[in-house]
Amino acid sequence: MSAGAAADEAILLAGIARGREQDLAEFYRRYHGRVYAFLLRKIGDAADAAEAANEVMMEVWRSAARFEGRSRPLTWVLGIAQHKAVDRVRRRPADRASGEALDAERLEDTNAGAMDLLARKQDAKRVRRCLEQLSEAHRAVVHLAFFEDLGYAEIAAILDCPEGTVKTRMFHAKQGLKRCLGRLPD
Amino acid sequence: MNGAVHPDELLPWYANGTLAGAELEAVEAHVRGCARCRAEVELLGELREKVKQSAPIAVPDEVGLQRLLREARRSRLAHPHRWLRPALAAAVAAIVVQAALIGWLWTTRAPVMEPLGEGTPAGVVLQVRFDPAAPEARIRAFLQDHDAVVIDGPSALGVYRVRLRGVRTGESEAAARALAEFRAGRGVVVQAELQ
Repeated sequence: MSAGAAADEAILLAGIARGREQDLAEFYRRYHGRVYAFLLRKIGDAADAAEAANEVMMEVWRSAARFEGRSRPLTWVLGIAQHKAVDRVRRRPADRASGEALDAERLEDTNAGAMDLLARKQDAKRVRRCLEQLSEAHRAVVHLAFFEDLGYAEIAAILDCPEGTVKTRMFHAKQGLKRCLGRLPD
Repeated sequence: MNGAVHPDELLPWYANGTLAGAELEAVEAHVRGCARCRAEVELLGELREKVKQSAPIAVPDEVGLQRLLREARRSRLAHPHRWLRPALAAAVAAIVVQAALIGWLWTTRAPVMEPLGEGTPAGVVLQVRFDPAAPEARIRAFLQDHDAVVIDGPSALGVYRVRLRGVRTGESEAAARALAEFRAGRGVVVQAELQ
């Protein structure tokens, strides 16, 4: 996003803070899809993600006045989404928690076979299946880095964690993905 | 950085194009001379592409937007925006002060002693609020019974000024009696005070 677009969106947020519904509608049109995509990656359930995306937009409506322009609007809104997702996952009944999630940090390093498989252009479906096997924290970092193309500092701001943690999570997520892609059947 | 230490932790951000400054320069220099890291960057680029393809494509949902706007309106009524709160507080304070002032004027203001010069209509003036349910004919009959005429009003609060033509200023007993009769005018008058 260019600096001009970010400034434009900061103006939108200022309008929302003043209670302008048309600015909220415009903000929704620009960001709802990205917020939903992030939430779906983290939560894994389409209905829950849609509900949480609505909650995020309501939070934008209520707290736009608190946006101070120290980050990009995207970083700010995804930070709200992160908190909503954490709340939802916490409230989720134990039997729906992703107990089967792959603990990528305990996986061994990749091997040449996995890399070759990926190099042969794995299809997106397989990548998605492997992403779903990662823990929610690792999936979020991969999504923000590769779907949103955000830098590690911005990701740290969104996830409210140190930059070093973002790098570590990405490292382990990457290893987990390679491992998963290497062992999945064609 | 071209030695044994590979910049693995930074390669994802090199692949997504967000590295800058000294980090970018160092990683670029390393990758140029390191086949392993070039392969890793290629792999990460491939992964990035697949992650983009695997994300849900969410089109703007107009139904969801309308729902959001409805909730936002309800929320605004229940919890006004922060910028509105001082304005609302000031408005409420103004109303309270105004009400107190009106109440004070209503109950404590001394009767105005009008000069009895020529051209000045004679008669004590009352401030009266009529019963909103009272028919005009009944109000008219009540005023005629008391030799009273409406000289002003209604105000924003529905108050009329009524002159008692039969009671001269300074005739305090007659004024008090007339006032009592107005106040007793059930079904016609809901409030009456001497001006």
